[in-house]
Amino acid sequence: MGEIILDVQNQRTAFATGRGLLQAVEGVSFTLERGKTLGVVGESGSGKSVLSRSIMRLLPGTAITGPGSRVLLNGKDLTGMTEHELRRLRGPEVAIVFQDPMTSLNPVLTIGKQIAEVLVFHMGMSKRAARAKSIELLRAVGLPQPDVRVDQYPHQLSGGMRQRVAIAIAIACEPDLLIADEPTTALDVTVQAEILDLLGRMVRERNMAMILITHDMGVVAGRCDDVAVMYAGRIVEKAPVRELFGNTRMPYTAALLASIPRVTDPPHRKLDAIEGRPPDLINPPPGCPFAPRCRFASAECQQQVPALEGQGAHQYACIKPLNTGVAA
Amino acid sequence: MRYLLQRFQRLLIVLAAVTFVTFLLVNVLPGDVAYEIAGMDSSEEEVQQIREDLGLNRPILVRYGEWVGGIFTGDWGRSYLSDEDVWESITDRFPVSFELMILAQILALTMAIPAGIVSAFRPNGRGDRLIGSVAFASVSMPSFMTAILLIYFFALYLGWLPATGYEPISSGLWENLRPMILPALSLALVEWTVLMRTLRVEMISVLQENYIALARAKGMPNYRILLVHALRPSSFSMITLLGLQVARLLGGTIIIEQIFGIPGVGRLLIHAVYTRDFIVIQGCVTFFALAFVTANFIVDIAYAWLDPRVRTGGAHG
Repeated sequence: MGEIILDVQNQRTAFATGRGLLQAVEGVSFTLERGKTLGVVGESGSGKSVLSRSIMRLLPGTAITGPGSRVLLNGKDLTGMTEHELRRLRGPEVAIVFQDPMTSLNPVLTIGKQIAEVLVFHMGMSKRAARAKSIELLRAVGLPQPDVRVDQYPHQLSGGMRQRVAIAIAIACEPDLLIADEPTTALDVTVQAEILDLLGRMVRERNMAMILITHDMGVVAGRCDDVAVMYAGRIVEKAPVRELFGNTRMPYTAALLASIPRVTDPPHRKLDAIEGRPPDLINPPPGCPFAPRCRFASAECQQQVPALEGQGAHQYACIKPLNTGVAA
Repeated sequence: MRYLLQRFQRLLIVLAAVTFVTFLLVNVLPGDVAYEIAGMDSSEEEVQQIREDLGLNRPILVRYGEWVGGIFTGDWGRSYLSDEDVWESITDRFPVSFELMILAQILALTMAIPAGIVSAFRPNGRGDRLIGSVAFASVSMPSFMTAILLIYFFALYLGWLPATGYEPISSGLWENLRPMILPALSLALVEWTVLMRTLRVEMISVLQENYIALARAKGMPNYRILLVHALRPSSFSMITLLGLQVARLLGGTIIIEQIFGIPGVGRLLIHAVYTRDFIVIQGCVTFFALAFVTANFIVDIAYAWLDPRVRTGGAHG
């Protein structure tokens, strides 16, 4: 066992809405070791992004964190920390790369300033030293002409370059944990692989831990050590990546995998989309949240929510697990 | 360069429209400057003679054309009553009005920016509600009412500042500023609320932006997020208003100059209106229009400073 960077215990995050309490993240637990990458996969609204914000404690005022929830970063409990204490961890211990680099960089500040301010604020660098270090970071993330780009504004850069800048900002203070929240969803397909490779290289070189959030099973396949599949705010299956793909237990995971189109498919073949919609998180139905859409569901499934259980590293929340590979 | 040319075109159109309309309006007013010159007990023939001498019986369009021609050659005409050169009498007095307006806008901004930031930081919080109530009270009072209250409180009751008067800058900066504070404040107390509310609304939406979330994720403290990350992208509407408010301020100074006895363009204009000295009215109005367009031109330049995307023009991505 390596050094545990992140230990999330029973994280529950809800939002107060006009209709009632929306349970966005419901009892999520996992640990993450240094040097490892955890892929978090799920549909829109499955709670992946709220989970990442919950870990960073970057939630809006309407969010309510469950009483038993704990997030331990390097052994320190973030749950009870003041805003002031958290601020000192954001950057040096945990950093995030957002989905859309078009909107996540400040349009009125040069990219150099946006990197340098982290260095000045957290590492106490002088402005000059911070600028030099910013150029170095831009070079490290593969931005061409870093000494010119450092004085440019975000609108002068392409989407892929901006995401490189966002990564440079994230790694500036050498965090132990990097959260990449759908880092390639907003990018051109040709750039996606480059950015994912860059993130992977940064994790290896700097020996960080990374949470890679995505809705794309294909992204997870080659780049993660473990995968957690989320549905309706819960982790419904979690396993090392090979095990998950080769020995899928949870029908939802199987359905997600089946919905990926394959090049070997004949043309005009209808995609295996998952029927129905994710459940209402304000008034969730009893039982397994996936049961209404699950082709294997029976009356039993609607009795109570199955717990996330299993032998060793492979865990799943299903009372009628699939036994043989991809069922569909 | 094309940008500048466009602005210049706009300037010409505004000036033409404004001067022509005032020319017409002054002409439909009952009574004219000839009565004023001739005096109370003059006969109709004498008045007619004066009109003849001044060329006032000629058609409006001819006189307007003549006046415009004069403007282009730098001749703004001479007052029918005092024979003073119009350009000189305006430029003698304008610095006073200008100082008053600038001072008013500075005061308005120093109130609006901090109040807007505090309000936007926690919308509907205690600070926001308090500032909102104060602002509402402040904007509900016309500037001349505010002026009278300010005079009563600061000049008569506390005796800190003079109630009226003007000191040239040659008497010293403080001596010059002291009598200007109350007039400027009377104007600012109306203007700041609009600026504040505009900044508040825009900043509330900017604070929802992803780049603000990223600044938080970078561990930046609140003051830095508000002042460095959010203020500039939030001030576009406020800056636009700042330019548009020049029109209201020009109107406001006319009244305020009367109340506080400040020898600015406002007093010149009011006197000219009373005496139908319309060449002076024309001059003042043209000058005001020029000032307004210039102010908005400066605002356009300020955009470029605020937003680098404007600076480079053809932005990609």
